Parts: sequence; C-alpha cells; structure tokens
Amino acid sequence: MTAIDLSTDKQPQSVEKQRRPLTIQEWLITGIVWAVAALFLIPVVWMVLSSLKPDYQIFAMPPIIFPQPPRWANYREALTYVPFGRYTVNTAIISLFTIIGHIVSCTVVAYGFARLRAPGRDTLFVVVLATMMLPYPVTMVPLYVLFNEIGWVNTFLPLVVPAFFGNAFYIFLLRQFFLNIPRNIEDAARIDGASVVEIIRYIIFPLSLPAMATVGILTFQFAWNDFLAPLIYLHDQQLYTVSLGLSFFRSSFQVSWAYLMAASLVTMLPVLIVFFVAQNYFIEGISLSRVQ
Amino acid sequence: MNPLYVWLRIKHLGMLSAFCTLLLVVGACTAPVAPVEPAESNTTTDSTENSAGEEADPFAPVEASAEQVVIRVGTGDSGEGLAPHQEIIRRFEEANPDVKVQLEPVSGNDYYARLLTQIAAGDAPDIMNIGDDAVPRFVESDAFIPLQSFIDDSNFDTSVYLSGLLDPGTFDGELYFLPKDYSPLAVYYNERIFDENGVDYPEDGWTWDDFLATAQALTIDDNGDGTPETWGIQLPGPWTTGFEYWVAAAGGQLISDDGSTYLGYMDSEEVISAVEFYQSLYTEFGVAPPPADMSAFGGGNAEFDNGQAAMRIFGRWPQSGMMENPNIDLGVVGVPAGAERANVLFWGGFGIFSGTEHPDEAWRFLQFYAGPDGAEVWKDWALPAVTSVAEESGVMTDSINGVWIKELDHLAPRAYMSTPYWGSSADPALRSALEAAILDPEADVAALMSQAATIAQDELEFSLE
Amino acid sequence: MHKKVRRETWAFYLCISPWLIGFLLFVVGPMIASFYISFTRWNLIEEARWVGMANFERLFLRDAKFWQSLRVTLLFTLLYVPTELVGGLGLALLMNQKIRGIKIVRTIYYLPSVLAGVAYVVVWMWMLNPEGGLVNGALAVFGIQGPRWLTDPDTALYAIWLMSIWGLGRTAIIYLAGLQGVPPALYEAASLDGARAGRLFWNITVPLITPTIFFNLILSIISTFQTFTSAYVSTNGGPLDSTLFYVLYIYQQAFGSFRMGYSSAMAWILFVIILVLTLIVVRSSSRWVYYEGEAT
Repeated sequence: MTAIDLSTDKQPQSVEKQRRPLTIQEWLITGIVWAVAALFLIPVVWMVLSSLKPDYQIFAMPPIIFPQPPRWANYREALTYVPFGRYTVNTAIISLFTIIGHIVSCTVVAYGFARLRAPGRDTLFVVVLATMMLPYPVTMVPLYVLFNEIGWVNTFLPLVVPAFFGNAFYIFLLRQFFLNIPRNIEDAARIDGASVVEIIRYIIFPLSLPAMATVGILTFQFAWNDFLAPLIYLHDQQLYTVSLGLSFFRSSFQVSWAYLMAASLVTMLPVLIVFFVAQNYFIEGISLSRVQ
Repeated sequence: MNPLYVWLRIKHLGMLSAFCTLLLVVGACTAPVAPVEPAESNTTTDSTENSAGEEADPFAPVEASAEQVVIRVGTGDSGEGLAPHQEIIRRFEEANPDVKVQLEPVSGNDYYARLLTQIAAGDAPDIMNIGDDAVPRFVESDAFIPLQSFIDDSNFDTSVYLSGLLDPGTFDGELYFLPKDYSPLAVYYNERIFDENGVDYPEDGWTWDDFLATAQALTIDDNGDGTPETWGIQLPGPWTTGFEYWVAAAGGQLISDDGSTYLGYMDSEEVISAVEFYQSLYTEFGVAPPPADMSAFGGGNAEFDNGQAAMRIFGRWPQSGMMENPNIDLGVVGVPAGAERANVLFWGGFGIFSGTEHPDEAWRFLQFYAGPDGAEVWKDWALPAVTSVAEESGVMTDSINGVWIKELDHLAPRAYMSTPYWGSSADPALRSALEAAILDPEADVAALMSQAATIAQDELEFSLE
Repeated sequence: MHKKVRRETWAFYLCISPWLIGFLLFVVGPMIASFYISFTRWNLIEEARWVGMANFERLFLRDAKFWQSLRVTLLFTLLYVPTELVGGLGLALLMNQKIRGIKIVRTIYYLPSVLAGVAYVVVWMWMLNPEGGLVNGALAVFGIQGPRWLTDPDTALYAIWLMSIWGLGRTAIIYLAGLQGVPPALYEAASLDGARAGRLFWNITVPLITPTIFFNLILSIISTFQTFTSAYVSTNGGPLDSTLFYVLYIYQQAFGSFRMGYSSAMAWILFVIILVLTLIVVRSSSRWVYYEGEAT
C-alpha cells in the first residue's frame, strides 16, 4: 500500500505571527468574535444566576440580577431531586453506543452513496432524505407497537440499535464530505488492489476527521438531550435518562425554576466537554497537498 | 497498517473510555444517599426495609421473587410529589408480601403522550392516575374497568369520601376511579397588603361586587405612570377549565347536559356576562395585571408571589410555596358569588387498566392507595379525600385548609362531564375567545362567544362522526 | 467492463446494506402504518376505523387551524432558513479565526444549542417578558418601547425566531467542518496573486463549501418545517394561534385530542410538501454545488 503522509498542515508562518503584535484588522476581528460570544453567553449567564436564587426571586419585577443571597444548596437539591447520577450513567451508555453505531454504519453507507455507482442510487438517496421528512410524533406509535411486539420495550435497545443501521442526517453529512475528497488517492489505492473496506479505513476515514468529529458531537448532543424516545420506551425508573430527569422539574401545575436551571446547566457539561475536546479534530486539518 | 491512523484510533477510544469513566465517577458521587449502587440496576438490596420512620427512596429498584405479582402504577407526579406514593407503596407491600408495586412516574405535561402510546400497544400500567377531564375519554374507549364489582366483593365503603369527590370518577352512572387529590378554586389574599391599605379582609359569602370593590381599592398606582405598583387581583389568564367557575357563578353552563351542543350555551347571556366581567377586570377596571405567559397554566404571572398583587384566584397547588414565601402573609377565602354561589373541582384519580393481567391485586392496591390507609399518608401532602382522616387531622377547621373543604359544598358540574370531547372541541375555542377578550378591550364579546360556540360545535360534530 | 459494473453495483448495495436493512426493519413499517392510519379515525385506545379521504377532506376544506398552522410554519421557514444559512456561516467564519482562545469561543457559540430544551426556552421566555425582561430592558436604555413579544399575536413568531438564532451554533459547526476542509494552499496561492479577503471569500471559500451549504439548506428546510419544541414549551401555539406550528398542531391533535388518524393525515401532507421542496433543491444542486471529488 502506498504510504500516505497525513501530516497536519500548521502554516509555517504561524510561529512568526505570534511573535509580532496584532494588526488592527486582527484586533477588530478579535473584538467582533468576543462581542458575539458575550451576546451568546447572556442566556447562559442568566441561567446561572437564576439557578442560585430561591424561586420567587427569579421572576421578580423589577428584576433582581444577583441572587440575594446565592443559594448554593439549589445545586445539591436539584441533583438529588431525582437520581441524576444514575440517569447520567444511563444516558452516557446510550450515547456511547449511539456514537459508535453512527460512526461505523454511516461512514460505510455514505461512502456507498458518494463513491460507488449503481442503478437506483440517486433514487435511494432521495429515499434516505425522505425518511427525515415525516414528523416523529406520527411514526412514534407504530414504532412503539413494533418494539413492543419484539419485547424491546423498557430496555435501551430501541434507542441504541437503530443507530447501527445508519441515520439519514449523518449519512447525508458524510456523503457531502466524501464527495469533496479528491479521487486521485482512492484511484491510486484501487489500482493497487485495495478493497472498499480498506479504502474506507485507511483513506476516507482519516481524511474526514472534522466530519467524523461533527458526527460524534452532534450524535452525543442529540442522544444526551433526546426526550420523546426515552419517554415512551423506558418504563423502569432505573433506566431513565437525563432529559427525563429534567422533565420532572416541570409538573403540570408549577415549575421548580431554580432547580431546573441548576440541573440543566450541570447536565449539559458533558456535552460541552466532548465538544471542547473534539475540537482538536477541527483544527488538525489534513493536508492533501503532500500526498504521494 | 498506518501507525498514525492506529494512534488516532487509540486516542479516540482512549478518550472516550476515559470520559465514560469520568461520567461513572460523577454518577457515583451524585447518587442519592439511599443504599443503591448506581452502576448496577438490578442487584441491590430491597431498600424498602428502612429503619422505622425513615422515608423510603422513591427510586429504589423493584425486585420481585418468583411468586410475587408485580403491579405497575403510572402517575404524573414528580420529584417530591412522589414521596407519598412511595410511602403508601411501602406500607402496602409490608401488609401484602405477595405483591410488588413498581411506580412509573412521568412529568405531567407529557404523561398522556406516553400513556396513550402504551395503551395503543396494550402495554399500559395496571393502575393509572388520570386527570378529571380525561375520564370520559378513557372510559368511553374502554380503557378502564368499572370498579363496582370489586367494591361489592370486598365490602369497600365508598361513603368515606367527602361530598362530591366520587363524582368526577364516575361516568354514565358507573364508578371507574377513586380519588387521589382534588382542589376547588379559592381566593388567596395577602394580609400584609390589606393591612397596609386599611382594607378589610374578604369574608366568606362575598359577591362579585364586593370582589371588584376590594380589587379596586387595592390597585394602587403611586407614581402615576399608568402601571400600578400594586394590583388588586391576579387572574389566571385564558385558563379555560378555571373559567368554568365564572360561568357557573354567573348561572350559566357551557354545554348542554346531554353533551350534544354548545350552541345556546357557550354563547348564552350568562356566559357572555361572565366573560365581559372577567375581561373588564383586565381592561376597563385595570385591576389585574396582563398575563405574562398566555400558554402557561394560569397565565404565568408572578405578581402575587412578589407581593405586588393583593389577591389571587387559583387552585390549591401553589399553596405550600406561598406559605414559605416571605412576601406573603397568606389568607384564603372562598370564591365570590355572582348570580349564584358556585365553584368547580379539579381532580385526579386512580383507575385500573382494562388490559391488566392482575385485576385482583390491582384492586387490592387501589383500595389501599385511595382509601383510608392511603389518605393517612396523603394528608401530609394534599387535602385528604377521606372524611374521617380529614376530620382527625384538623384540616376541616383549619383557617386556611378548611376554606378549601368548605368550598366542596358549592360545586357545579364541569363541562367535561357531559362530553368526552371537551378537550378537542371546546377547550381551544374557549381559549381563543378568552385570549382575544383579554388582549383587546374593544372586542365584541358576544361575537367572540358566538364564534367560539360555532367552532366548538363543529369540532364536536367532527369528533362524533 | 460488464463485470466491473456488476461488481461496483454489488459493492454499493453491500455498503448501504446497514441503512437498507434498518430502513426495512424500523422505518418502512411505521411509515406505511402511519400512511394507513391517515385514512382512519383512531383514538389510540379503540380500534381504528376506516374513513377514506374524510381526514384530508376536512383538513383542506373545513379546518381553519390547518391553514393557519401552514401559514405560520411557512412564514417562519421563510424567515429562519436564510437566517440559519447566512448566520450560521457568519458564525462559522468567526469560529474559524486563528486567534487566542478560539476554542473557548467556539464552545460559547455552541453552548446555547446544547441547552436547547425546556430550560433554555424558559430562560428566553423570561428574557422576553414584556414587563421587565432583559430584552425590553435593554431596549428601554435606548428609549425604545419594546413589543410584548410572546404575549402579542403580532410579535410572538418573531420572538421564537429570536430564540432560535441563539441555537445557530449547531449549524455553524457543520459549516466549520466544511471550512476546515478547504485546502489552505488555495488561499496561499490566491493571496500571492494579490487577492484580498473579499475575493478570497467569494471565489474560493464559497464555491468550495457549496456541498456544506447544500447540506445545511436541505437540513434547514426539513427541520424548520418541523419546528416543535420551542413553541410547545413557550406558547403552546398561542396567543391566538400565532405560533401554531404545523408539527405542534399535529402533536395536539394526536395526544391532546386523541385524533391519531387526523394527525397522521397532516403529517403526510407535510411530508409531501417537504419532499417537493427538497427535490427542487436537489435538482438545482447540479448547477451550483461543486464537489472537489468529482461530479457525480
């Protein structure tokens, strides 16, 4: 197999750039970037502040900005209102398997759509897209009946197994990326006799790491926040997920605002951490220019 | 195999597993203090064996040995509201070792979505908690079993309940549900605001005129900017079922008794006068703050909680929060009378799923749950439904809680009792009419109600097709 | 030649077999079931009853709320899809800057879309409170009397639009992955030739990320038409049905009014609408989408 140089392309000027002072243009950009960031943070800051107040201070008019005094106990109480610990573990398990399932299955399927020619391919692709067009509340019930018949209700299976059979969203995403990869590497590999599987593993996959990272992040986020599916499939409280746990703060008559804020903030941390870490795959752009 | 590629894969998996370990550690640390291991869900000790007096953990796993029957119970309660359920379950299981009860709570808003999906698949819990207006719907569709034969066989005395509490669970003359909790409406008032302004507290038996006068006296705009600092009354916005009180107090009704038509009822003089009065409180007299959130149950206003409204008309649900609220010195009085003295009841009950495989065990639990044994536990959380328990706990004569109980003497039947299709027909139409009336002081109420009645009727006929 | 074609065909179907199998197992069944249900009356508890075209007939001829929900959804889609496409790209460009702390900035941009759920919408409901919420408070500083947002039928939809903008982080990271895929060598070569930032953007960046734009456009159409959570949590369709999104109406009919057949009919109408729009976009794509790999 021809060796492929997957060196990351850190621009040679970057070292020099950091030594000289920033230009006005760069200051401007930095300013804009952080101004927008501040804007995006406003709702979150408000959530943090609200999470430390007793409920009746949250909606006080005129608004009370800072909690008087901050009620740190809200966090402990919110997280033990329902067993978030167990829910976190459950959700982590579901998310982990879903990520694996998606990355493995969607890569292969997307490659097929992107690179292989066959009769019916384009029609099938439209079918793939079409599966995203029917709103979930409507297929939810027949799907539930199906899973009930095979006895998968009250397990994680209905939430995890379908991920190993591809997912239209990610298939589409990856297909777009694969189509953008120059063919010459693959053609070279093909001439050398590489099989489809080998091409995917050694060429396509490494070259698509930003896309894979995106799939991982989005899968994790969706699995973490998914509500309707866990709602109907998980009966045993032991199996509940984080999103179900959060829903308990909203009963039909009232909302425990502070607890809801506190718990939402804490339970979103894992997704943020994954995102922060996965950013490495965004920055390490793969250079295609040094391919042999 | 490309070493860089291998390295990336290992890094991938390594990070993922490190992350998961982190999550497991976090999970272990934040698990509740109850003796349960978070990572394993089925090998724990039966934590219903607690030292005497300690509350059971609502989330302890349920294990059943081979001879035991497992009963599933579905409810829309959440959080702390589950504690009484679990306490009752604990007591029941002690007395009935051959039955295990598994509680399946779902937050109220989405409870029905799940319940319906489960019923559609034939997989619903044996006992389910249902809200009052869903009763006709579910009963008409044969989702629940009539309880009379169980009651006869086990000599269950249904007269133990306070007056009117069995009615919502009855349909077509048959009893399907036993009461869980209930609340009529009442007027909360903040004694502090009354004292500060030298206004007398409202008294039982007062009228709409008294009510309006009190509200006007307590709507105060000190700085003259057009927005009062203190409001007389916080109303629950376009809340439809709550509005039935106003209709009943005006001497009207929203639907014919046989449930066949809204025309002539929803657009009747009495209803129009009720809507006009309600509207005038917002617009003409300006004694009520505009709804902060039209979709929230009850309008989403916070004025009363902030000590900026003198009164609030609502059910008993937020009462405990109000009693802890330093802004409020709480008093409660019955609702004012319009042309008549009337109130409406909001109610939740338990029934047995028609597809249950264990009807006898389910009944045994049900009568424990909703009967005097259960009421002993419920009384610490809500108004007890059983008369003897209510009397013994002093609730009947309590200055605040007693008011709610006394209101039970003036109940008018609610509209949903006449038709299973209230939710799909009248509710949206009435809601739109109320929203329009509140939003627009110039709105022609008679026209609004006529339109609402027509729309509701059309929907009703569609449902009846 | 023939053998090669046949081998490739075989390889293709093998590749997509996971999806195909999953489709046949988990997707086709429920889809066909819901299609059948749309011709029935079913309250989820009793047996479904065949009514033929009655549901569709009522929807098109006698249901004012159906048209209202269509109107609301269409209006919102027209408003939000361009916002998402352009705003998302703008955000991604910001996220792509090589400045210090950019990793933190990216996380911040992404943060609101992670929260998207009950708590997030609730925070926005508070911020949009007409009396003293943050938004109107900020406007008041500039002497502007803020509208009544979610409690005013004329502005409620825009309030939801505002809420949704903060969720652009998710679209942006997809753009970001696309931007990262543009070979820097192209930029280097072009700047050496004297091209400035604007030129670089329009003539290099945009053409090369057309596959990503295509993706985001289709996804945006599909998902915006199915907007549900923000309206469900904040307004439940009100006031006066000004935020009655189509899928929300479907949900209300299915689980609120127990009319599963009726809501399935609605769902299939939506399906057709989305499908047609998507096909239009897909057909047009050969004209404006440029794949670096090859033309398919």
